[in-house]
Parts: sequence; structure tokens; C-alpha cells
Amino acid sequence: MLYRTAGQFKTSYQSDQALFPVRQDAFLLIFFLLLAYVVFPLTASEFTFKALLVPVLIYSLASLGLNILTGYAGQLSLGTAGFMGVGAYACYKITTIFPELNFVIALALSGFFSAAIGVAFGLPSLRIKGFYLAIATLAAQFFLVWLFEKWSWLYNDNASGAIEVRTMDMFGLTVTGPTASPVVQYYFVLVAVTVVFWLSINLTRGRYGRMWKAVRDMDIAAELVGINLMRAKLTAFAVSSYIVGIAGALMVFLWKGAAEPNLFDIPLSFQILFIAIIGGLGSILGNFLGAILIVALPVIINLIPGMLGLSVNVATLEHINVMIIGALIVTFLIVEPHGLARFWAVIREKLVIWPFPH
Amino acid sequence: MKMNGISKTLAAGIAGAVLLAVPLAAAEEIYVPNLSYRTGPFAATGIPLMNGQRDYIEMLNARDGGVNGVKIVYDECETGYNTNKGVECYEKTKGKAIVTQPWSTGITLQVLPRTNVDKIPILAPGYGFSPMSDGDVFAWAYNPPSSYWDAASMILNHISDGDLDKLKGQKIALLHLDHPYGKEPIPLIEAMAEKHGFTFLPIPVGLKEMQNQSAQWLQVRREKPDYVVMWGWGAMNAGAITEAVKTRFPMDKFVGVWWSGYDGDLKAVGDKGKGYRSISWNVPGDYPVLADVKKHVVDAGNSLLENADDMNTVFYQRGLVISMILVEGIKEAQEHFDTKAVTAEQLRWGLENLNIDEARLEALGMAGMTAPFATACDNHTGHGGGWMLEWDGTQFVKASEHIMPDRAAIEPLEKAKAEEYAKNNAPWPDRSALPCGN
Repeated sequence: MLYRTAGQFKTSYQSDQALFPVRQDAFLLIFFLLLAYVVFPLTASEFTFKALLVPVLIYSLASLGLNILTGYAGQLSLGTAGFMGVGAYACYKITTIFPELNFVIALALSGFFSAAIGVAFGLPSLRIKGFYLAIATLAAQFFLVWLFEKWSWLYNDNASGAIEVRTMDMFGLTVTGPTASPVVQYYFVLVAVTVVFWLSINLTRGRYGRMWKAVRDMDIAAELVGINLMRAKLTAFAVSSYIVGIAGALMVFLWKGAAEPNLFDIPLSFQILFIAIIGGLGSILGNFLGAILIVALPVIINLIPGMLGLSVNVATLEHINVMIIGALIVTFLIVEPHGLARFWAVIREKLVIWPFPH
Repeated sequence: MKMNGISKTLAAGIAGAVLLAVPLAAAEEIYVPNLSYRTGPFAATGIPLMNGQRDYIEMLNARDGGVNGVKIVYDECETGYNTNKGVECYEKTKGKAIVTQPWSTGITLQVLPRTNVDKIPILAPGYGFSPMSDGDVFAWAYNPPSSYWDAASMILNHISDGDLDKLKGQKIALLHLDHPYGKEPIPLIEAMAEKHGFTFLPIPVGLKEMQNQSAQWLQVRREKPDYVVMWGWGAMNAGAITEAVKTRFPMDKFVGVWWSGYDGDLKAVGDKGKGYRSISWNVPGDYPVLADVKKHVVDAGNSLLENADDMNTVFYQRGLVISMILVEGIKEAQEHFDTKAVTAEQLRWGLENLNIDEARLEALGMAGMTAPFATACDNHTGHGGGWMLEWDGTQFVKASEHIMPDRAAIEPLEKAKAEEYAKNNAPWPDRSALPCGN
């Protein structure tokens, strides 16, 4: 009833190919955009910005990057955190070498560095597949973290081996550094995430997206119909690493404010892989759903005893938290192995035909 | 998208709740959060320290009704040594907090630039950046009673019997965690090596290799250093000590920083660890304060200690000392500003004007437990020095006279690194807004 698609006629090719052919989908999107752009900035506290909203956005961006590679092009990668690190360190070097440069440009440029590194480590994908490729990207992960630790030029010979973010202004607003207001940082991340998602949705629906999906589903068949495998795989690595690199730079510059090399170690790669898998491989919406489950939910669970006025030993709470999240992950994967995005798709399908199922 | 909707509403709800919660804090309470880690890879060493911190405050609350009549609310926020959780905890507690106890170098790094904006002092006793000692640059950060560079200097002083030139031609290895914390003493030892003509050999232990250090100890055997100095934490200490025992490295040539002197790590090797030394700014023993803690907290069932015997460990007692430093800062602030519930800004002044002398320690029942020290505007560490502890097979005992660091050699380095930090984090505010002395 709410989701009735009857009567929504498509009278032109253009309307038939629209991003959201069903009107209710577009309304929902507008609703969530309004929520993100208007309601949250008006209501959220500093804690909500820094511990919930900004991390969810950044993690979903990183997961989108991985999803393009793994979900759309079918190339398994365990090097996500390493590529995020490349983005972050590149952005750090660019902003320290050219302090006058606008931060947006520095951010956009830093993505190219991670894209280049991604393509270099993506080369083995031309010869090896599946688990073997995962091991090759794992090598990238270990190598890159090692590089961040050992190559002191990367962190300007800082004694502590960490990178620190200085204060940077943009159009009169402080964007990075301790004096930046959380709302400004939130808007910055939100706009960046919106733009990248919008581009990615269009990209995955276009020529390259179809090439990637063809390669994912059966690379021999794809080659036979004339798809250049090398180009398809390497573009997937490039686009994916570009997005992941930007996510890494955003993470350090607009969220954490400082980073040490082991931040980009393998647990982060796994965390992002989990977000992508639980959210749904090969879906755009899934990245948000996965990030909410993996990143935001533990924070929210931690708050519940305080809100109810219960005093729980913090260590116990942490253990309970891990158990709840673990149980939820298992439950969701049993109920819907294709991820939360598919779960939503099933609900939506049921809603469309409700109350008269065939 | 149902999920999505629910959690977003929840998030908005929490946002509202958090906004509301802040002004509700009662006036006659002092809120002291601790970014603890009772879970994760470093929990084994974190738990005794945090138990000590907690029990000292609970003891004051039970015995004296707080400090000068104001109850101290000690609250832990679990980070698991994870920097992401560190951000979360910092944001969660900063509304009411009068102090940040970050408990990890990574979290300190993230919070340090925020201190000038949020105006909450960082208290990092015996950890954090060594240059934090320079109060002219780091107006809001404190690492009493000794910094890592002090530790490195004290260790070198001790093994050379006070004359570093004796080390000429010797080889000193630094077995360190490959992490900002472990790298901390390198600039100082490097400078000393150059000045006094000994060879310095850093041997990093990656976070993934903490428990299996065979490669590092192979290097030790090959290089045959005269001393191995250890900057380890968590599982790395136990790994190094068992490996040293296995390779029969002479224990009297093996010296650790204060975080590498954990009873539990040495109990595992027992007698074989005899002779292992660790520098420390607290000496384990039976002090009057322990009786109070036992009576008011442990016996009252309010402690998180699993075994009352653990009160004798170095780390638990160090936790007590850490909370003592904080509470003395609160007292100084209360007296100076003539107020009960001190604010974060007042505590900053208090920590800057600490004077923990022998008489004060005596009054607190802690005489001899830690080294006396005093902080000042340009000295946020106090540099109280410490003692060498030695493992006698069953426990750590004091094995030296009071040792002092070579401040004349450290100070220029501190100044230079503090300036460098300010430059990297430009624009870093100067102290014109916080003049010394008032």
C-alpha cells in the first residue's frame, strides 16, 4: 500500500533508466538526505558527531571502495587499510609540502597516490584469482604498514613516528585541527561522501560497472565477449583504491586528528571487509547499513546502561558488547546471507505487493 | 532501511540525551574519568594499574568522604587500547571531566591538540611525550613524576655507576615496541651514545611479534650487547623475559623501563628471572596507606581486585601513586581558588603547582613509596627520579639508592622537540592566555 508501484508509468527511456524508477525510493532517499543534511546538524551533540555520525560516514566510504573491487569486480582484497594509509600519508605529505594548497585539492590528489599503489598491487590479479589474490593483497597490507613505520620521510622524521594534523582553513572556516567545529567537519565529510557515492552509483550502472560485473560473474565469458580483462580489473583497483585512499585521509584529517602507523594494520582491513560483507557485497546501500551495524551499534550499546542509570563494570560491558555484536552478525548472516542490503530488498519486495501477495 | 531508520532515531535520541545530561551534573562532585583498558592485548598490565587508581579514590571517598568534603566520582571508559575507542571515550566524558587520563600514547596524540580548545588537562604519569615537560609549550599536559627520557637517563646512569664515559666502547641494545611509545627513548639514547662514545643498537619488536621474539633474541645473541634495555608493554614483556631465559641471556645485563617491571611477567619465570632490573618511580612495600585501602575498599568488598595479595604488586601500588598525584593536584586547586568542586581549568593550575615533598608523603602514609617532586610552570614533569628494582625470584625489591636523571643533557632536547611539535601542529597557542604564577 505504502509502496504501491502500480500507476507509475514510464513514458520515456530517460525516465525508465532513472536512478530511482520507483517514486517511493526517491522519497526515502530525500528523507534520509534531509535527516543527514538538516536534522542531524541541528540536533546532534559533539559526541554524536565525533563518535557516531562522522565515523559511520567514513567507514561506509571505505567500504564503498572495497565493495567496488570485491562486490562489483569480484577481486577479493585484504589490503584496504594499507590503501587507506597511503591516502592518509599522501594527504599529510601534500599538506605539509604545499601548506597553501586548498584542502579539498590535497584530498582529491591524495586519492591518486593510493590509486597508483592499488593498481601496482592489483597487477597480480591478472594472473591469480580468489584466495590467492587475497594473499597477494595481504602482502600489500603488511608491506605498506611496514613502510609507514620505517620510512621516516613519510612522517617528516617526527620523533613519535606519528602524523599530526595542523589547522587548515577553507573559505574562512576551520576544517581540520583541534579548533575545527564538529558541525563543519561533519558537513565536509558528508558532502565528500555524497559526491563520491553519487559518482559511484553512476559509475557502477555505466559501462565500467557492467564490465566489472561481467568479469566478476565469469571472467572467461567476459573475455570472449570482448571485454579487456586487464583494463576491467585494473580500473576496478584504481577506482576502489582512490575511494579507499580518500576515506583514509578523511579518517585522519577530519576525525582522529593524529595517526600512528599501526592504525592502518590488518584489523582495520578486516573491519571494512566485514562492513562490506554484512552490508551486502555488490550493493551501495549495504555500505551504510554495514557501517551502522559494525561502527555505530557498539557505541550505542555502550551508552545504554548509562542512560538507564545502571552501573556496569566497563570491562563486562565491553565483553557483552562484543557478544551482542557477534550474535547480531551471525543472526543477520543466517537470516540473509547476502547481507543487510538484500534483507532490505526482500522487505521492500514484500511491501510492494502487500497486502495482496500472489 | 527499517534498521537504518531505527538506529538513526536512536542516534538522534542519544544526541538529545547527551545534550541534556551535561547540565545535570551535581555541583558538589568532582568527575574524574579514566580511559582504561581492562580488555584487549594490554589488559594484563592495565588491570592492576587501574585497580590501584580506582581503589585510592574509593578509599578517600570512604575514609574522608572525598577530598575536603567533595566526593570524587571515578569513572572508567573502556578503550581496549584502541584509538577509535579513545575518541569515543574522550568525547563521552569531556562534558564533565576535569582531567583526561589517556593511558595510551596513541590516544594522547589525538587528545593533546584538543586540550588547548577544550581546556581539560591531560595527566599522563610516567607516560606520554617526554617533551610534555616543557610547560611553556604544553600548558595543559602533565607527565609527573618522571618522563621516558628521564627513565633512559636514569638507566644509563645506573649501569655506568653515574659516569657515562665508562660506557665508552660498550654496546647497548634497546629492545623496544615498534610503536610511538617504544620509540620514545631513541632520540635521547642516540644523543647520549654520540656524546659518550657507546654503540646504540635499537631492536624493534613489531606489535605482531610481541609474543614470538626469537628473531630479535637471535640478533641479541649475534650482536652480544653489553646491556639490553627494554621498552616493552603488555605481552611483549613476558615474551622478552621468557626468551631471555631461554637463550640464557645474563639477567643482570637486562634492564627495563617502569612499564616492563610487572610482577606477573616475572612470576612466570620465577627464579630464572633473578637479577632482572627495572627502573621505577615507586617502590613496592608495606605503607600505611595500604592499610587504609585494605580496610575501606578491599575488605569492604568495593575493590575490583580478585585477590587481596595483589595489593603488594608494583603496578597496583603505582596505580595508587597515580591517583595520589591527581588528588594532590585537586587539593592544591581547592586551596588556591578557595573552592570545593574544582573545574578543569583550576585543576590545571593545581597540577602545575604540585609540591609533593617528604612531609606531604609522610602525611599521606606514602613516605618512601614514590620520589618527592614538585612541578612548576616550565616543568610539568617534576623529574623526581626513581629507584632500580630487582626481581629476587619472587618479588621486586629496591636495589639501588635514589637515582636522578641527567637533566642538563635532557633539557635542550626537550625544548627542541616541544618546539617541533608546536610547529607541526601550527597554529599552536602560546602561554600568553595562561600567565605563569596565577
